[in-house]
Amino acid sequence: MSFNVQLYNKMLTDNNVEVVYSGPIWSSGIDGMAEMLLKRLEYEDIPLNASQSVFSVFVEQMNNMLMYSAERHFLTNLDGTQISSSKGIYILGVKEGAYFIQTGNVVTSSNAEILRARIDFLNTLDKKELRQYYKQQLIAGNDNPVSKGAGIGLIEIARRASEPIKYEIDKLDNGSLYFTMHVIIKQGGKQ
Amino acid sequence: MAFRLEKEKTTSTPFVLIDEEKKYMKLEGRSFNENVAEFFKEVNDWLDGYLTSNFGTFTFDCAISYFNSSTTKLLLNMLLKMDSHASKEKKIVVNWLTTEDNEIMVECGEDFRDDLNNLQFNLIIK
Repeated sequence: MSFNVQLYNKMLTDNNVEVVYSGPIWSSGIDGMAEMLLKRLEYEDIPLNASQSVFSVFVEQMNNMLMYSAERHFLTNLDGTQISSSKGIYILGVKEGAYFIQTGNVVTSSNAEILRARIDFLNTLDKKELRQYYKQQLIAGNDNPVSKGAGIGLIEIARRASEPIKYEIDKLDNGSLYFTMHVIIKQGGKQ
Repeated sequence: MAFRLEKEKTTSTPFVLIDEEKKYMKLEGRSFNENVAEFFKEVNDWLDGYLTSNFGTFTFDCAISYFNSSTTKLLLNMLLKMDSHASKEKKIVVNWLTTEDNEIMVECGEDFRDDLNNLQFNLIIK
């Protein structure tokens, strides 16, 4: 039987999911999704703080997936050049007036442990401590050797989130690890 | 000939203007491209040379409305580099232009300001 779109749509609606993307993630692809999100946030009459927070969490999560997804492919441009892409899922929803962004991607076991340790630590800090830690890490440089980015994206996510970052690391049937992250941003801005 | 660079903004990269003749640089828009280091390489390369010259007074207007964590790090390094060259003879003025409701940029400006000792950092909130 073919994929049941109607059932899928019901699942999305029942769970307050408004946008779903599943597939390759690459730099200019993120730009396209970012434009869509920016336009959407512009149409919704919410404080700049809240829309900036939603946008910032989106950007950092997409960049994290681009860097750390263990499922990678090459996309070939028309001129024959190749660019690296990652596979992942991005979900945006609104529940009881709060935005939520969920992402999912396969990770290596070493990255899973780094993510677990970092998020657990960040969740112990309050907003003021997060701001100080962010600045400290900006100056200290990059303590994660596998990171191509600034390695501070997760701190930024924690700063913008209204609640502690939720995550799960599940073992798939084929033995690889699947990392999901759930970030909530209340429209009133930060707590 | 004086160096000049002008880059139009895109979704994820800011408008860039360097006008060496006017001793002026400006960034405006959003910056969240994954490959931010490559995007700013030309700016950084120019700055490396320019800052060692006797430019007198140099002004940098930073009117970025949003940047991601990688850009934050890059920009802080850029400002620290400027700060290390700023002196009585080589005056550097940085205007951090933002709006009151842009909490991310206001907080970032405040945090950056604390680490800059030699250049003149103006946090301009409208």
